Amino acid sequence: MMAALSMSGISKAFPGVRALDNVDFDCLPGEVHAICGENGAGKSTLMKILGGSYRPDAGTIRLAGNAVHFSHPRQAAEAGISIIHQELSLLPHRSVAENIFMGREIARHGLLDKAAMRDKAARLLGRVGARIDPQALVSSLSIAMQQLVEIAKALLLDARILVMDEPTAALDERDSRTLLALVETLRRDGVSIVYISHRMPEVMAIADRITILKDGRKVWTRPRDAAPVGEIVRAMVGRDLKDFYPARPASASGQLLLSVEGGANAALRDVAFDVRAGEIVGVAGLEDSGKAALAQALVGDAPFSSGTVTLRGEPVTLRAPRQATAAGIGYLPGDRKREGLALRQSVRDNALLTLRSMAGLFARPQRGAFASDVIDGKLREMDVRAADFGQEVGTLSGGNQQKAIIVRWLAQASDILVFVEPTRGIDIAAKAAIYETMRGFADSGRGIVVVSSDMPELIGIADRILVMHQGRISGALPRDASEEDIMHLALGLADQPHREARA
Amino acid sequence: MTTDVAKPGPARSGLPISILLAGLSIGFFVVVALATGEIAQLSGQGITGLLQRMVALGLVAIGQTFVILVGSIDLSVAALISAVAVLASHIMQGDPAMILPAILLCLGLCLAVGLVNGALVAYGGINPLIATLGTGLIVQGVLAASFGSLQGAVAREFQAIAYGGLLGVPYSLLLLAILSLAAAFVLHRTLFGARIYAVGGNPDGARLAGIRTERVTLSAHVVASLFAGASGLYLAARLQSGTPWVGRDGIYDLESIAVTVIGGTILAGGKGGIAGTLAGVLLFACLDAGFNMLGIDAFLKQVLRGAIVIAAVAVHAVRTKGHVA
Repeated sequence: MMAALSMSGISKAFPGVRALDNVDFDCLPGEVHAICGENGAGKSTLMKILGGSYRPDAGTIRLAGNAVHFSHPRQAAEAGISIIHQELSLLPHRSVAENIFMGREIARHGLLDKAAMRDKAARLLGRVGARIDPQALVSSLSIAMQQLVEIAKALLLDARILVMDEPTAALDERDSRTLLALVETLRRDGVSIVYISHRMPEVMAIADRITILKDGRKVWTRPRDAAPVGEIVRAMVGRDLKDFYPARPASASGQLLLSVEGGANAALRDVAFDVRAGEIVGVAGLEDSGKAALAQALVGDAPFSSGTVTLRGEPVTLRAPRQATAAGIGYLPGDRKREGLALRQSVRDNALLTLRSMAGLFARPQRGAFASDVIDGKLREMDVRAADFGQEVGTLSGGNQQKAIIVRWLAQASDILVFVEPTRGIDIAAKAAIYETMRGFADSGRGIVVVSSDMPELIGIADRILVMHQGRISGALPRDASEEDIMHLALGLADQPHREARA
Repeated sequence: MTTDVAKPGPARSGLPISILLAGLSIGFFVVVALATGEIAQLSGQGITGLLQRMVALGLVAIGQTFVILVGSIDLSVAALISAVAVLASHIMQGDPAMILPAILLCLGLCLAVGLVNGALVAYGGINPLIATLGTGLIVQGVLAASFGSLQGAVAREFQAIAYGGLLGVPYSLLLLAILSLAAAFVLHRTLFGARIYAVGGNPDGARLAGIRTERVTLSAHVVASLFAGASGLYLAARLQSGTPWVGRDGIYDLESIAVTVIGGTILAGGKGGIAGTLAGVLLFACLDAGFNMLGIDAFLKQVLRGAIVIAAVAVHAVRTKGHVA
């Protein structure tokens, strides 16, 4: 049988990163081909190339044997490729039929044929097995139903290749089942489905073949029967640890600093853990696991709605970032440019941000800790490299920006620092320096919580790793955990028999 | 996420905003008329008078609805109304033969201003508040500077638009009714209308679906300017001679935005329509008429209007929170 889709020798580089390196991928008509890989393995890049959002540096794409070149997503769509993203592109205030036909309305002389669109929408919805009124407003539908509308939209274009990128990430168990049943129906209609998911039970249930990507390369492609979960996990993570992590202290960690009991909110359930003085606690998990929500809860950005937090034995309320800051918890967000820095302000202003915001209205701007030479001294101590601390912080490298934010919290004398993706977009040399700083901070009798998608980083820097899955801490691992152990917990395989019973 | 998969509900029932709002407005008007003993206001003539209050604001607001739906806004309409009123009376100079040329020239000016607004917003990427504020200031400035040489009066025959009628229905009301129906038809029944909702609702999604979003935005601005022109022509007919301040004094820019939003069109774009906007205009007309009957002082009137605008939008905010999942 000729492959409906075949991509061969696909390579793509971004500045500083080789996102894809000579990747081959194909999908037969009526086949569900799953792609698995860690965050950053190249799955999304590969699909963006297929969808016409990126152009590959090398390699060819063939559809049913014919070579194609896409320079705009529209061309890919017209060639029968439909990509259903995690974020939906629907118009919430318009009807289902109007959404399905957006940009492709049935019209004669500019006049809409609403009846024809309703009928056709109803037929398409019937084909995806969704009992949805074509005239219902999209905003009145559940997320799962909205997913089905997206799929109906794809079928309108007579998509022969359907890419589903984490389609069940936002769905609960029951909605996921609806969606998986639909995938089964489409497969029987001869549609080729590329299925990207972190949820192993799902992949094992519906995939015909599985391809593993890792660091931009294909590890292998195997039929499902030849790919037990253990093999998949090993192939996803097997990589060399780099030894630029600082040595850990030999002594045991000290007194209890921070303790969370029964923490919960919309994204989290039953969160309980401690941080001791001198300790770096890592938090691992996949994209939707709640690890980012945990960081936000600790710093009061999206607070816990129930549960207790104690700091040095005293209960504290963390309803807003200001309370967290006052209590001595500092936040180094993952998206430095958006949440961490005032890019157009000077390095000095950025380093002074917390001190200034916590000071009284009548504090004198150039006295005491606010004085330029004091903060400059701290910046120099941290080895922030800038021609002049008066220059805009946006002109510095990622590593130096991160150091400037660290200085901000050191100046505030915080006890606990919460790092999210501390080295995202930072080169290797600066990474090592940041790890040194983190370890130094912990060694001075304070604590760090570091949330990261980079497993080697967590293994290298953390004294203990909490792994999250679906809003819970699914397990805690000691400092010498392997990536397989983390992945096992992150995929929710610890309670797999339970999951399979429901799936 | 709260979902009930088995029961994908139809569009939420309940009275449409427009009917609710219109009912409230008329109720207020009737109650005030009865309470103050101004029963004459409830006669055919009184009602016609009430509806005629809607014409000038109604026409601008229809145009404003188009730009707001597409996710933009137009602050230049007030200046454009003044410009059209002045230009029309200057060209006509009381000569009925000049009616058609005057109308065409005025609409030509509106087309030009609309194209400039649209180009600045859609292709120039300039924030619509700033772009249309700028064009409005330019039009207003040129007008004030050259008004000395732009004197004139419209032809008596042209005034029929404001004062004449057919079977007791004023031409101005017929004009508003026809243009409203046309605008509603365009929004709900044509490709152009569907594209306006798509671009306003999700610009990136619309672009990926192959819609040329810039053109849609530009066209919406042209529509808004043309409707402002229609309003300017009506005011010229009513006042016999335009002044550079008719638009500004009527606060047509901010009031057209206010009634559009009161009518349920959201400022972000992609949701709303003509019926709501007209209901908003009716509300303003009833408030004005009611306050007049009650003999409320002009400044207090302003305060009450302001409070009602805020209250109406707050009610929308609460309603929307209810059903957006």
